Amino acid sequence: MKFRTFAMFVGPSIFLMILFIAAPLATVFLQSFQITQPVVETQQVETCTPGFLEQTCVTETKTVPVLDEFGNPVTTTEWVGFLSYQRVLQLDRVGAALAAGSWQQIMAIDFWKALRFTLTFTLLTLPLILVVGLGLAVAVNNAAKAIRGQIIFVSLLPFIITPVIGSLSIYWLFVGDGILTAGLEWWLERDIAMFAQAWTIEVLMLFYRVWHVAPFAFVIFYAGLQTVNQDTLESAIIDGASRWDRLRYVVIPHLMPLIIFVSLIHLMDAYRVFEEVVGFRSQAHVISLQWLTYDFLEPDDAGNRAISRASASAMLTMIGIVILLIPLLRRTWRDHKGSSH
Amino acid sequence: MMKKLLLAGAASLAMTGGAWACAFENTVPVSSLSAGFEAWKSVTEAMAECGNFEAELDQEFRTKQPAAFAANPSLYQIGGVSNGTVTPLINEGTIRPLDDLVAAYGENLSPNQLIRVDGQIMAVAMMVNTQHLMYRQDIFDELGLAVPTTWDEVITVAEAIQGAGVVDYPLGGTMKSGWNLAQDFNNMFLGFGGQFVGDDSMPMINTEAGMKALDMMQRLTAFMDPEYLVSDSTYVQQQFQQGKIAMANLWASRGGAMDNEAESQVVGLVNAAAAPLAMEGGAPATTLWWDGIVIAKNITDEEAEAAFRVAMEGLDTEMVQGANDEAIWLISGYEPNRLAAGAIATATASPPPASYPSTSQMGLMHTALGNELPAFFTGERGAEDTLAAIEEAYITAAKEAGILE
Amino acid sequence: MSTPKALRQPFSLRLGSAAFLIFWCLIAAFPIFWIGVMSFKVPVDAFAPNPFDVVFGPETRARGKGLSILDIVLGLVVLWFAARVAMRNLSPLVAKYSPFGVVALGWIAASLAFGVGFVIVFFGILPPILGVLNGIAGPLGAPIIGLTTEHYQAVWFENEFWRNFVNSLIVTTGVVTVSLTVGTLAGYGLARSGSNIAFWILIIALIFRALPHSVLVAGYLPVFVNSAEILRPILGEAAPTLYGQPLAVIAVLVSINQPFTIWMLRSFFQSIPVDLDESARVDGCTHFQAFRWVIMPVMWPGVITTGLFSFLLAYNDFLVTSLLLDAQNQTMVPGIVGYFNRETTTTDQVEAVAAAVSITAPLFLLVMVFQRQIVSGLTAGAVKG
Repeated sequence: MKFRTFAMFVGPSIFLMILFIAAPLATVFLQSFQITQPVVETQQVETCTPGFLEQTCVTETKTVPVLDEFGNPVTTTEWVGFLSYQRVLQLDRVGAALAAGSWQQIMAIDFWKALRFTLTFTLLTLPLILVVGLGLAVAVNNAAKAIRGQIIFVSLLPFIITPVIGSLSIYWLFVGDGILTAGLEWWLERDIAMFAQAWTIEVLMLFYRVWHVAPFAFVIFYAGLQTVNQDTLESAIIDGASRWDRLRYVVIPHLMPLIIFVSLIHLMDAYRVFEEVVGFRSQAHVISLQWLTYDFLEPDDAGNRAISRASASAMLTMIGIVILLIPLLRRTWRDHKGSSH
Repeated sequence: MMKKLLLAGAASLAMTGGAWACAFENTVPVSSLSAGFEAWKSVTEAMAECGNFEAELDQEFRTKQPAAFAANPSLYQIGGVSNGTVTPLINEGTIRPLDDLVAAYGENLSPNQLIRVDGQIMAVAMMVNTQHLMYRQDIFDELGLAVPTTWDEVITVAEAIQGAGVVDYPLGGTMKSGWNLAQDFNNMFLGFGGQFVGDDSMPMINTEAGMKALDMMQRLTAFMDPEYLVSDSTYVQQQFQQGKIAMANLWASRGGAMDNEAESQVVGLVNAAAAPLAMEGGAPATTLWWDGIVIAKNITDEEAEAAFRVAMEGLDTEMVQGANDEAIWLISGYEPNRLAAGAIATATASPPPASYPSTSQMGLMHTALGNELPAFFTGERGAEDTLAAIEEAYITAAKEAGILE
Repeated sequence: MSTPKALRQPFSLRLGSAAFLIFWCLIAAFPIFWIGVMSFKVPVDAFAPNPFDVVFGPETRARGKGLSILDIVLGLVVLWFAARVAMRNLSPLVAKYSPFGVVALGWIAASLAFGVGFVIVFFGILPPILGVLNGIAGPLGAPIIGLTTEHYQAVWFENEFWRNFVNSLIVTTGVVTVSLTVGTLAGYGLARSGSNIAFWILIIALIFRALPHSVLVAGYLPVFVNSAEILRPILGEAAPTLYGQPLAVIAVLVSINQPFTIWMLRSFFQSIPVDLDESARVDGCTHFQAFRWVIMPVMWPGVITTGLFSFLLAYNDFLVTSLLLDAQNQTMVPGIVGYFNRETTTTDQVEAVAAAVSITAPLFLLVMVFQRQIVSGLTAGAVKG
């Protein structure tokens, strides 16, 4: 294909991605090395606010931004190098904690706490999803044809349901005396509070993610199973391969590209874990990297937002994903080289 | 589109002589952006009677408001704010002084409603809100308990209730990590006479008041549902409604829900009292909030006039009479009910509780508190370390925001 | 059909696999079933700690709202037939009546018609008939399970949730159409170009997909709000304010979803033999003509599957829509989350549950109708790594 034709085919897609992803990404990259501040001055300000019947007036020193002649706040932008990264990573405190040999002190720093959880979350859910997805695919493939449709339908529900609603529906089952907590309490004959300690919340978050994503893995593996070469299977049977051997030496190698695909997508999505933190209100115990970025960006009542630190933490999140993806990407590169020659 | 037609219909109907009519027919398109709680629903519905009005009740209003009002022309004419969220609008100069408009159309406003900054009217308040004590009168009567006036008494009472075993947990707490938890700390900290930042903007949290506040909060958590770090006001309100708790320091605007027959199993059993004191002779350990309206600066004077007149129709006596129990209104015609007594006792206490400070520093401090306090309650950090971490987080944020050098 | 003996499974394996499937189906369906049950009860019942209170709803029943045995039986029968029609009859009907090449449109029309028909039969025709029947059925007609549709009425009529529904429809249709058009072209181009540029485009797209959305979205807001001012020098007075515009949100969602779309479609096109379009090229077609006349007729399975993923993304999105749309153009998901703000009440929460169940219904329908297409599209190669 000539380059011109190729460019015309991919042009619109590239244009959209540059405009709405690459451009903001470049801004984020620049902002992580800059700090933009309003120029402020302190003033004595008298503020009168209502009581129930009478007002109270207080005079206090307030810091207010300086406005230019058009009424817009005057701002200064400064290049600060890696200052924002340092403020997020807090390497000096990490060093001190390492010297003291204290894991707890490292975990007191938001970024490292978030990284710890994000990594555990990503790496624990990945095998679970692959195994559950594959197990389901094999089991459904074994099931009678008449009921396959219904089973696939039910299995897909957790995947298609709106994530915000899915996580809430599970949250309600467990919070306070939610019926499943009440059931567990009755069964184990003890008082249980699922949201009072970190590990139970983490288990619930893991469960939710597996519940939500396993159907995706399932449907892709199931589709893959439909194209397993029957001749290979039959010759394996003639060679006396056991059921397990057939799964291991014929089916799984056949599904390998799909396993890579699912892993790739899942690693990216899980590393950006965010909805679970909000849905299960786990901020007190565990936070994730994207939540950290979101929290920096969320304006407080006074409208302040930590844009530079948010940019730095977003860049760090991206670097983390790229590192995680490198092994899978190398494989894709080899396949590409193999296919184009 | 449909809604517009309906509103136009309602307006024309009103013109023909309903008692709730809007006093004029609005011809300039006006829109508002505010939070979405019940009081705002009533107010914006009343505004809509004037026609040509679109209300946006948005939970993201804190993010959208500063940006939307800074645009030229402003995307909204009317803004719904509280003393917390008005700060960026005043600081960035995106709302206009209302003195002329109040003089022309504000004849029904009381002086108490006019929020003045350096003498200029910048906002018109419609209601006050505060956290104060709500308790189960029936349980107190049964156990012969007196209503506590200090937090130490709250603990004594909570012990008695726990001993009697009449409810799951004696106390409810709005201590969801983040904004709510920080707000609870603010209440207690101010109750112990603390001051958040000094005149040089440096934090003053790691002080005796801070230690006392943390200590008191921790003692209280012993009487709460162990899941207190995920419980927000709605959750505590639900615990009340389901009869699971006997007391809580809860927002006045939540009072109405206790007597809502569709939701509550404790109708008529909950009473309200002033927020308890943290120390003798101090102010009630709570903050006063107001909610009200502002008018954008980047719009024409004609639009501003129409917007203000529409807003005044939303804040009139007829609206209050239709929504009396939804808030502690500042508007004439409001009849305080049984549960409003707590808020009124709190607001009129002597010395009175502080109004929540509308400063940039407070916004940063609130975020730092919300992020760092949970580690203390999960037991990962001691009180002093936590307070030091809060100060450090605040300083980092304040440097980035340009408030500290 | 006889199975070779060696492929026949031992009883223990069959039992194990059946047990696994049943267990999974329970886990998969229960939370959704449960919010469905909650949405039909008054708040006191919906949040009751005892599960039997939630299911049978004594408080709801006490208010005279409930279902009799007769209602339940008839309701289930109708549901059963509806599901049957959706799974079996819809597909041949569409195949028969949709004109060539626009099967997708045919499906959209068919599922919409089915959805509307179902709502009319189930909520419009059935209740009055049952009302009469219950009156004459005696004990069979007495309510045994508390059930009220008041929350649905509140959500759809009082709170005008149908406006959110229409907005969702606009955004979703827009996203799916644009995303597929742009993505199909790019996917085809990438699949047929062995060059290194193509490879790097794919890798960069993959990295783009990894970017946390909250960062992107926060970057859009100030630009969108001020776009009228920013674009005025270029477009003059016609410069639009992008904030609140469904079109702008469609563009954002399409872009965010492009990486996934082009990856899927590229692998799908790779599974279509190159000989097919090369023979067309030998006959003198340009690449575009080859694409139009040779590839388009055979690409629908992959496109439909990819389209479903785009649909899910657009329909379920919260972050982008909640921040970039104003109230008049709000879609359903942020509309629902709006019920859970700081000052919400228990009734609001049950209404939110009712709204949540309502927005899940179209998804149900979609999967029922497209289930076979998803699997066959994936099988045909949309995911070959």
